[in-house]
Amino acid sequence: MRNFIFFIRRFFNLLLFLALEVVCIVMIQRTETMQGNDIVSSANAVSGLVYKKQNDVVYYFGLRKMNDSLQNENARLRQLVEQYKSLDTLSDSMVFSKTQIGDTAKHIVRFSEYVYRNARVINNSTNATDNYITINRGTAHGIYKNMAVLSGTGVVGRVEHVSRNFASILSVLSAKQRVSARLKNGAYGLVIWEGNSHKVLTMIDVPQQVNVKKGDSVFTSNYSLYFPPDVLIGTVIKTEQVKKNAMQHIYIRSSTDFYNLQYVYVVENKMSEEKKQLEDSSAKKQ
Amino acid sequence: MNVYLKNILRFCIIVLLQVLILDKITLRWWSNPSGFPVFIPYVYPLFLLLLPFEMPVWALLLSGFALGISVDAFTNTAGMHACATVLIAYWRTNVLSALLPRKLTEYAGQQPSTKNMGWMPFLVYSTFLIVIHHLLFFTIELWNLSNIGHLLLKTVASTFTTMLLIIVYLLLFTRQDSSRA
Repeated sequence: MRNFIFFIRRFFNLLLFLALEVVCIVMIQRTETMQGNDIVSSANAVSGLVYKKQNDVVYYFGLRKMNDSLQNENARLRQLVEQYKSLDTLSDSMVFSKTQIGDTAKHIVRFSEYVYRNARVINNSTNATDNYITINRGTAHGIYKNMAVLSGTGVVGRVEHVSRNFASILSVLSAKQRVSARLKNGAYGLVIWEGNSHKVLTMIDVPQQVNVKKGDSVFTSNYSLYFPPDVLIGTVIKTEQVKKNAMQHIYIRSSTDFYNLQYVYVVENKMSEEKKQLEDSSAKKQ
Repeated sequence: MNVYLKNILRFCIIVLLQVLILDKITLRWWSNPSGFPVFIPYVYPLFLLLLPFEMPVWALLLSGFALGISVDAFTNTAGMHACATVLIAYWRTNVLSALLPRKLTEYAGQQPSTKNMGWMPFLVYSTFLIVIHHLLFFTIELWNLSNIGHLLLKTVASTFTTMLLIIVYLLLFTRQDSSRA
């Protein structure tokens, strides 16, 4: 016993050092396995508040750019409305995802699969390996983990940590995140970020025979569990043939300006739970 | 000023400087979609470098851990910064005693600075620890040794910029002996 105490006193520093490093490695491990660590994240009360105070100051510098982007989005939405106006809704079944919920006696019918909530970006990063965005909405406003986040012009990311008043979003600019995507002509692939410029994303797993032209649009596919389908991701800059596996790499200019993000929409997919449950149960049976 | 108060104040200022200003600046020396990697200068280990000489290793380790965790909380990288800062906190005493002519206990009540160490030893001391910190941090962050050139380029670029900022800090905040009349 005496020897043991002597040993501890002698190597106290080394033991403390090793203990602290083990704590760090456990924390890194926990975030890598996507379980998340809500206390040490920018969604916690202190860092959320600091970022909010900072955003209150720098908010005004980006107003002009934000106005322009809102104007663009309005124009796009107006155009969409015009398209729907000329549609004969009686003969054409444009209303989709009609589902009954609640008591069958009441027949509550809800038409929309997705609920959009707006949020202000209070912190933003574009130059780390995994980039996070903090927003001023949390569980108090109905935000939960794994909801999709969109901007007026395209995809942004997915909610990873939530606290009562803040949430931090893992942006598409991350090595951890892959988005299921679709080209204009229907070919599917995955969009990843290679970690260089915040303007350039890469689409992989597209077969070589698919004809891709510069300027083609890339959308989210309807396979994605989180993102709603047909949201713009970006436009093609150039393609590159990969000899190894007969696939091609497509470089995409992202439609979202990650550097100047001010407002985002958090999208709740009301069906995602059900879809995931079904897929899990069928995976278990195999 | 009380040495505790002074260091706590410095802790807050350096962490806020790091997360509110330096993390927001995108540094790249030429822009090209697949060219030079984007990097951030991580200046916050400067707090550890400037703690008093006679501080025991366990206190250094704990303050290094606190520093790393606070930066981690802001950048959503739970544990990564802390891992790197704890390592340099552990090695700081050894590096200092190797570089200084006298024993560390003889520098009671002082903190490392260019005045009592001289410019060259101080720069060697800070560069050595910063390089180790950045190398470990970027290794954990990328966690991919297939792309070792990218890792080294990022480390070198970030270390260089960090050292420039540290020199600017030293020039600004070292008190001059001869006050001008």
